[in-house]
Amino acid sequence: MERAADYKASGGKLVRIRLIEDAGQIRSVRITGDFFLIPEESVGKLEKMLEDTPLREQEIRLLVNRFYSATQAQGAGVTPDDFVKALLAAREV
Amino acid sequence: MISSKHCSPRERYRALETWRLVDHEYRDNPSMNLAVEEAIPRMVGEGKAPSTVRFWHNSNTIVIGFFQSAKLEVNMQACKETGTEIVRRFTGGGAVYHDSGNLNYAISLRKGHRLVPDHDLQSVFQRLSEGAVEGLRRLGVKAEFQPVNDIQVEGKKVSGAAGSIRWNSVFHHGCILVGSDLSILGKVLNVPRVKLEDRHVASVQKRVTTVRDELGRDITTKEVQDAIVGGIESCYGVRVESGVLMKEEVGLAEELYQTKYSRLEWNLEP
Repeated sequence: MERAADYKASGGKLVRIRLIEDAGQIRSVRITGDFFLIPEESVGKLEKMLEDTPLREQEIRLLVNRFYSATQAQGAGVTPDDFVKALLAAREV
Repeated sequence: MISSKHCSPRERYRALETWRLVDHEYRDNPSMNLAVEEAIPRMVGEGKAPSTVRFWHNSNTIVIGFFQSAKLEVNMQACKETGTEIVRRFTGGGAVYHDSGNLNYAISLRKGHRLVPDHDLQSVFQRLSEGAVEGLRRLGVKAEFQPVNDIQVEGKKVSGAAGSIRWNSVFHHGCILVGSDLSILGKVLNVPRVKLEDRHVASVQKRVTTVRDELGRDITTKEVQDAIVGGIESCYGVRVESGVLMKEEVGLAEELYQTKYSRLEWNLEP
């Protein structure tokens, strides 16, 4: 099932989630928006890491935190919590 | 909010460091403009080019941020009708509309530069917007930096910035709405409702302003450029001297144009 959410982060930036969910799991996801994240290419790693993850807060939060520590990614206008909330917002739509 | 008092006397009287000023541009080739935008910080990071401030223009173009989906952000039909091109930049942030009434500036410094030593992107936006804020104030515009990456005048955006820290460089660029045609802006950009909600405005057009409108007179982008050069010199304690791109920088830009910025898969996908 295709799911989508446009989530406004606490810093005012938009995180747009477009994902395919199958039996409660993320099959694939695209994360776009007007936020800042360096290194820029790391967002592809986050999308890849999220594949086959249950669309549940605990698992997603763990994965997003692991992504930040593994890549040393740094955001502006967006926090790790914003990515978690944006992904969960797609579940609710 | 940042005011000109942040340009401290100590910085003004520091032994002057020289920055190169380049106004190398391709008004009718936005992809080449964006290729030059990447070539400069790469060369600065390699130590082959000095600290640089570049000023440039595009004719009708939507420049989207690295993370944005062209399909979601841009009204393709309106772009066709108005002859507006779509190009992606290598930095994050939101889509901006460029025309000849829009002045772009870009600052490229080597990583670890005294102005932005802590490698924090938010600090880069703030610190490297100060020169533009000071320049606009010198013209009489009540400009203030507004985090994350905007320069505003009484709540309306007059400039947006973006940047990155990569290739051993710190890069910051922004576009200043000097006398842009804001009616096209509202047509070619799809701004999601959620983005406008907390600003209590119905359209992107109503939350932006131009230098011309703020001053109530026509003003050229060159006048704004000169004021920003003055702002940069006083805020950062540097001397800005006219220069040109090196042959190697132009060669790199041409290569980036061929392999990246002229390609549909870079500009329009996903």
